Amino acid sequence: MRTGSAHEPWLLEARSLTRRFGGLLAVDGVDLSVGRGSVHGLIGPNGAGKTTLLNLVAGVYGVSSGTLHFGARDITRYSTAKRARAGIRRTFQNLKLFGEMTALENVALGLHADTCSGFFDAVLGTPRHRREERDIRDRSMEALRFVGLGGIAAMRAGALAYGHRRLLEIARAIVARPALLLLDEPAAGLNVNEAAHVSELIARIRDAGTTVILVEHHMDVVMRVSDEITVLNYGRRLAHGTPTQIQEDPDVIEAYLGRSLENESAQA
Amino acid sequence: MTISPDPAAARIGATRWVTLLAVAALIVLPWLEADRFVLHVFSLIAIASIVAMGLQLLLGCSGQLSIGQAAFYGIGAYTSALLTTKLGLPFPLALLGAGIVAAVASLLMVPITRLTGAYLAVATLGFSIIVYLVIKNEEWLTGGSYGFISIPRAALFGFVLRDPMYSYYVNVGVAAIVYLTFVRIQGSRFGRAVNAIREDPDAARACGLRVTLLKSECFVIAAFVAGLAGSLYAHEVRYLAPNDFTFWKSIEILIMVVIGGVGSLAGAILGAAVVVGLPEFLRGIGDYRMLVFGAILIATMLFGEGGLAAICTTLGRRLGGLVTRLTPKPAGTNESVQ
Repeated sequence: MRTGSAHEPWLLEARSLTRRFGGLLAVDGVDLSVGRGSVHGLIGPNGAGKTTLLNLVAGVYGVSSGTLHFGARDITRYSTAKRARAGIRRTFQNLKLFGEMTALENVALGLHADTCSGFFDAVLGTPRHRREERDIRDRSMEALRFVGLGGIAAMRAGALAYGHRRLLEIARAIVARPALLLLDEPAAGLNVNEAAHVSELIARIRDAGTTVILVEHHMDVVMRVSDEITVLNYGRRLAHGTPTQIQEDPDVIEAYLGRSLENESAQA
Repeated sequence: MTISPDPAAARIGATRWVTLLAVAALIVLPWLEADRFVLHVFSLIAIASIVAMGLQLLLGCSGQLSIGQAAFYGIGAYTSALLTTKLGLPFPLALLGAGIVAAVASLLMVPITRLTGAYLAVATLGFSIIVYLVIKNEEWLTGGSYGFISIPRAALFGFVLRDPMYSYYVNVGVAAIVYLTFVRIQGSRFGRAVNAIREDPDAARACGLRVTLLKSECFVIAAFVAGLAGSLYAHEVRYLAPNDFTFWKSIEILIMVVIGGVGSLAGAILGAAVVVGLPEFLRGIGDYRMLVFGAILIATMLFGEGGLAAICTTLGRRLGGLVTRLTPKPAGTNESVQ
């Protein structure tokens, strides 16, 4: 699922990406360059446009203006499913699992685009179908073990504990070994230990060769695992740099800790 | 493994036994039951269950509510009648042709698979009304309101199936093939994808699934089997009238799926047996039978969303529990499901 050639500097490159909702500029001319093999953190106060930006990259919303390149490909007009097939996978802020299916089946669906047997293969039980089903099962089990859910493959996804459901969604997103993984608040609602497990998991995903864009409110997770961070505020890019640079940036500190009332109204 | 697979395995074993008993009962039925009319009713149930299983795939698996399945059923019936009478094609080819023509007709519906819920339902209803009007008004082709008469009996390899017992085997046989086909889909890559687009279309898209294409495929498959059922109906009854294919027929098919249990393949068959069989069974009480029928529909729904399939599963489990409690050695199941 690798895209583009090695001499392409960026895996994902967004140029003046803009998304308007009625009169509101949710994302306003944002540039974003994500290097291959890195974890790119996306942070900002509530309503800064992080999830909207992630949804623009995933193709849930069309852009109002701007361009989006994935490797050498211009994916600005690609549908969600086409981007997923090109190698951009994601998780959701409010967990979207197939609740009535088992954990294993959920992960297996992540491999749908990698396999091709259809209705007739299933009915006739063709060798291709049997081979693919075996392959899907093996790779799905491998992904479940990778996130630490090897023991619950047969359980119904809807019956899993919250933390396990978060991990299951990640397993479904990485099973096809995508070039780019978009994580939308993967540690939301998790306790400290679970959040630490997720940051360790994100590092392992990057080490396995998948580039990650991470939207997250847990600052310790973002700072620990990100190679680069982009800070958004009011839909604009406020700052951009390494975790250390971001932590010392006066604009960022101001955005997070608040500013005086006059400046606030001047901004609006 | 943190959970024991034993209860699930036991249930699969029980399902297999019930299926085997049902198959055995269906095979020996013509020899035990001398009344040819009863066989005819069983044929009609088998035919109805084929359409119902198609809608089960559409509604129960892919989550698309169609109240226009009678259109494809009607297209299949008239296609088969025309192919055998006008072109003199043998029955097996006409059967296949009926399925194919119904499937092709369903391609007209592909643009509306983007619709969901009530909007999709009304659009399919509209299609059903159009097909009914074509059947009723194109007299040169369909015989219009006079009906389509003198349709030949089903014949296999030049052997005309004159005895209702033989056509019974053909109808039940085709229903069994459709059932097995749909069973094989479950748990396959295609089946998982179809379930996924019902459970969460957004997550399905994020997995790279072509949601609209999969929905269309389900529409075409459901239409194909409805066409097969139409063909079987044409040669079983041998007279077609437009009133057999009004939107009421579509509603009947929907009732079969819902009272049988949305999502359950066996439920679709049970539902067909109730909707087709019960009015025949209640013939003795004359005009009151539709009243009783309606009351039974409401009562079934009161027991919950799972329909007859869920009720049977619960009863089976209770019975199983009772049997194991009463006898040290487990006895076989003593009830078979049609």
